[in-house]
Amino acid sequence: MPGIGPRSAERIALWIVQARGDQPEHIARAIAATRESVRPCPRCGFFTMEEICGICSDTTRAADLLCVVEQATDILPLEKTSAFRGRYHSLGGRISPLDHVGPDDLRIKELVARVEQEKFSEVILALAADVEGEATTNYLVELLKPFPISLTRIAHGLPAGGGLESADELTLYQALSGRTKL
Amino acid sequence: MLADLQLRNFRCFESLGLEFAPGFNFFIGRNGQGKTSILEAACVLLRLQSQRSATLGSVVRFGQKSFAVSGRRENHRLEFRYSPLRRKIAFDDVEQRTLEDYLRIGRVVSFANTDIELIRGGSEARRRYLDFLGAQIDPLYRPTLRSYERALRSRNALLKSSQPRPREIAAYDAPLLEHGARLSGMRTRLVERLAPLAAAAHRDISGNGEALQIRFGPGNSEEFARDLENSRARELRLRQTVVGPHRDDIEILVEGQLANQYASEGQQRTVALALKIAQSRIFMTEEAAPPLLLIDDIFGELDPVRRNALLQHLPPESQKLVTATTMQWREEGVEGPIFELHDRQVIRR
Ligand SMILES: Nc1ncnc2c1ncn2[C@@H]1O[C@H](COP(=O)(O)OP(=O)(O)O)[C@@H](O)[C@H]1O
Ligand SMILES: [Mg+2]
Ligand SMILES: [Zn+2]
Repeated sequence: MPGIGPRSAERIALWIVQARGDQPEHIARAIAATRESVRPCPRCGFFTMEEICGICSDTTRAADLLCVVEQATDILPLEKTSAFRGRYHSLGGRISPLDHVGPDDLRIKELVARVEQEKFSEVILALAADVEGEATTNYLVELLKPFPISLTRIAHGLPAGGGLESADELTLYQALSGRTKL
Repeated sequence: MLADLQLRNFRCFESLGLEFAPGFNFFIGRNGQGKTSILEAACVLLRLQSQRSATLGSVVRFGQKSFAVSGRRENHRLEFRYSPLRRKIAFDDVEQRTLEDYLRIGRVVSFANTDIELIRGGSEARRRYLDFLGAQIDPLYRPTLRSYERALRSRNALLKSSQPRPREIAAYDAPLLEHGARLSGMRTRLVERLAPLAAAAHRDISGNGEALQIRFGPGNSEEFARDLENSRARELRLRQTVVGPHRDDIEILVEGQLANQYASEGQQRTVALALKIAQSRIFMTEEAAPPLLLIDDIFGELDPVRRNALLQHLPPESQKLVTATTMQWREEGVEGPIFELHDRQVIRR
């Protein structure tokens, strides 16, 4: 499990074996239920228990604005700022040759298909400000340039080398409002 | 000054605590007793990097998972814990999320026998010389270098793949150019600042009036983007990025002749000392405290004339940690505590 070192794993295992109540069973059921019911939204990649996620199906949101992020979890901090009321697209990662991740491992084809079909007026690239984030942004810019859309990227007041997850709300809000044209 | 230093599971030491004096501190012992390791611990504490190894993994004592160093410098307490998975730094007992405050406290210049590689070795040694200094002067130096290296390694990985994909390679052009241009600029300015200091240091210690000149030899022209464009065919053939700061170098000339080809070993050693003295003098032009000087196995090996010259021209305000196998060479006037190393024990005299 990510984020759990050998020490913690040992303690958790011990607790599972020795716990008096039925908490471990509760957790096991919750995990199974989550695995069954929560899945990535087929359109944007965010989490959903329905056919399509709450953001994609929300008709009060602008349908001509798309914000592209690396991970589904990047959508959460952006939603907290309330600065953005459009749609999202999560790539599921970024192009990173050192980790053997190429464009075909990401939801890039799906992004292009959406841009073709959904008639966005603006596509905002909100990827991390580090080397891989920059490279992936460049890759997408080349790919999306032929379409009649306005391409922007969020302003990078973001901490250098940091992803969206590590940015605080205010920084993110400013980054979103000060986006630059590509 | 560095008032004290504690190490735990650092190289050959399980646990060790030392208190230093201002000025000279001597570490005496046979080879393999851990003298260089003590200097390394001081360097790792102040700079979070080693003067002798590129990575910190090899510093962890055999059979252990982590090391720790701590100490007091300019009345601030520094602490660094390292394991391959996690690094923790604390500044005045407060854990830090950024390196900035921590790294502001101490600067280091390291003198070692291997410095002659700066003149006769490959260009990598000279880039490391610049990088070690740059990271201590400009807080943006290290992040820029890291980003450049990451872009370079990514790009090279793409060029090495069985079917290079031009679109992906091109996506890494911009970060390579951006961080590369910034790094070039930083290195250019560094060499410009070092050049007169190195020439003066060389005059001071060579005593023969020979002129030392150093010049930056950039791995790309001022039109880096065009260089990269023009190198496409070559990089596809060689399967690596062939222009850029990873090809930077410093040209070193004595009396107008390339020092690696024409200088004698003695002349080369003098040049190496001058380059290091120049490094320590650069700090004296900044507003920071004088650097800690680590002088490893040098005094015992230099001839008396060069040794005296060096002693006279090291910044007198600097604290100095000096290693040697014996103290026989010591001249009058060079006073300081002597730490004798034997069987992992350190006895102060
Ligand atoms: N990671 C390590 N763990 C344990 N011992 C080490 C480690 N790295 C080096 N050593 C040993 O530490 C000893 C001291 O090395 P060093 O500090 O270079 O000695 P000196 O400078 O006195 O010659 C050497 O015997 C070396 O084998
Ligand atoms: Mg040694
Ligand atoms: Zn959705």
